[in-house]
Amino acid sequence: MSSAQELDLGLGLLDHQLVDCEGRRCGNVDDLEVVGVRDGQPRVAAILVGPPVWKGRGWFGRLAAFITPGGAVRVPWEEVERIDGAVHLRRTARELRLGRGDDRARKWVEWIPGS
Amino acid sequence: MRKIFQIALGILAAIGGFVDIGDLVFNVEAGATLGYQLLWVVVVGVNSIIVYSEMCGRVAAVSKRPVFDAIRERLGFGVGFGALVASQIVNLMTLAAEVGGVALALELLSGLPYRVLILLGVAALAVVIWVTPFEWIERIFGYGGLALLVFVVGAIKLHPDWGDVATGFAPHGTSSDKLVYAYFAVGLLGAAMTPYEVYFYSSGVVEEGWTPKDLGLNRTNAIIGYSLGGTLSLALMISAAALFLPLGVEPQFIGTVALGAQVPLGTIGLLLALVGILFAVGGAAIDTCFSGAYNVAQFFGWEWGKERRPSGAPRFTLAWIVLLFLALLVIMTGVDPVLVTEYAVIFSVVALPLTYIPILLVANDRAYMGQYVNGRVANALGLFYLVVILIVAVTAIPLMILTHQGQG
Amino acid sequence: MRLTDLLDARVTTESGHVLGRVHDLRAERTPRTLKITGLVVGPSGFLERFGIGAPESGARIRTRDVVPWSAVIRADSRTIVVRDEARKRQ
Repeated sequence: MSSAQELDLGLGLLDHQLVDCEGRRCGNVDDLEVVGVRDGQPRVAAILVGPPVWKGRGWFGRLAAFITPGGAVRVPWEEVERIDGAVHLRRTARELRLGRGDDRARKWVEWIPGS
Repeated sequence: MRKIFQIALGILAAIGGFVDIGDLVFNVEAGATLGYQLLWVVVVGVNSIIVYSEMCGRVAAVSKRPVFDAIRERLGFGVGFGALVASQIVNLMTLAAEVGGVALALELLSGLPYRVLILLGVAALAVVIWVTPFEWIERIFGYGGLALLVFVVGAIKLHPDWGDVATGFAPHGTSSDKLVYAYFAVGLLGAAMTPYEVYFYSSGVVEEGWTPKDLGLNRTNAIIGYSLGGTLSLALMISAAALFLPLGVEPQFIGTVALGAQVPLGTIGLLLALVGILFAVGGAAIDTCFSGAYNVAQFFGWEWGKERRPSGAPRFTLAWIVLLFLALLVIMTGVDPVLVTEYAVIFSVVALPLTYIPILLVANDRAYMGQYVNGRVANALGLFYLVVILIVAVTAIPLMILTHQGQG
Repeated sequence: MRLTDLLDARVTTESGHVLGRVHDLRAERTPRTLKITGLVVGPSGFLERFGIGAPESGARIRTRDVVPWSAVIRADSRTIVVRDEARKRQ
């Protein structure tokens, strides 16, 4: 049983939902940027999100990256507030440049009454 | 007192919402082909869906995460993406069949042309989804589906040999074609345990903001609601067995299904049957449509949910609109809804392990579930039905091919 | 470097003995950082890919070892080489 301070990156972080400080869902953890591997002090520097990031996720990842529009976003690790089933961030999605796909799609929907 | 009322309403909605077009088609065809022999399979299917929907309701209430999230997290991006594509193909087929079923029921009720009713039906579904709050959608279509209880009354009025009916509840050898028997068993299980229902239910639990305090309600709803819903499936099979088997009728049309209520109960039986089919299949269409949108949104991490309002979850909203439109195109080609249903059910059976394995994994994960992790009973049952699912998933397509979809 | 580069890399000792594959990375969270403290190494089995046997999961099928990062000599995206002492802990 891992303590609150200890977690497994693949199981506990990778592919988990990102939630901003207002409770808005804004992507999944598509990969993690790891630094310091060569100098013996490895740590997670940032969370990586977005279709181009999927290229590192196997054959289906490359396929999905090919057919999906969108850019990659780098969220520095300091932006993470807490981790439970999801990864909660300190700031809003807009400030972190996440969830832009929804922002772009909104204009297709908001003209309809009742939206 | 309010609590009991609330539970009762939830159960009623679960009963009426249990039957979808796959159940209609397979239970009636199984009855017409094999009589009462496969009643026990319906019981197995109902038990299995009770075990798994309780589990995924618990996972969603405790972790606030729906089931499809777990597929990508536990099985990885590649498997998750494959599961997404497969489930969307099946969702589209299922939705097209359900839209066709709605149009057929409307045609029999109104006499208006089928093609026009497809458009009207889809438009009506879209408007209902857009305008109605989430809980009310389930209630409206659940209560309307209760009209299918007419089949229970009808089955009794047909005076089947109840001794014969009773033997159908014990699995036994069959004198008829064993492959056809196996095909229908697989189809019945697939119709009872549809993946879209599981995805929809778990997302719905999160939509409605359930917490661990609601777990007792969750369990009661699942057990009583699905058990009673299962009696509708049993009634469909029994009426078909009593009515169609002796005559050698092969029910190829939705209208024939409704005969199962008209013959014993006359015009009122027919009307109630058609209204019941309309609401049950219409409700299932909405569930399927949402399930598809939930899956794609959850896989990519988008905002999702009816309670977020369309402008709060734009890509999710566009997803269900596009899915509904594609289903419209498919069914407008004139393809037979009953045929599409058969394919949809069999293909969804193949995808069942991908759906249920992650549920079992996550329900055992303490990081997700805390103290609400699976106990020994839940795990024993879960593993047992998983084995059933695996056997069924592997044999589904070979059986479909070998028996020419049950024609023998 | 990315997490997914390190996952599934082959782990061998400096003398060439193959310990298995990287199933996961163990990390420790401090207020501002997330430090990687070890490798979760195990056989390249089918089940391990699905989190079966992971510490938090109740479904314990096979135990796996955590090799502390201090034992790592060098690491790239295909192979990670650890000191021989790490093998004795298996």
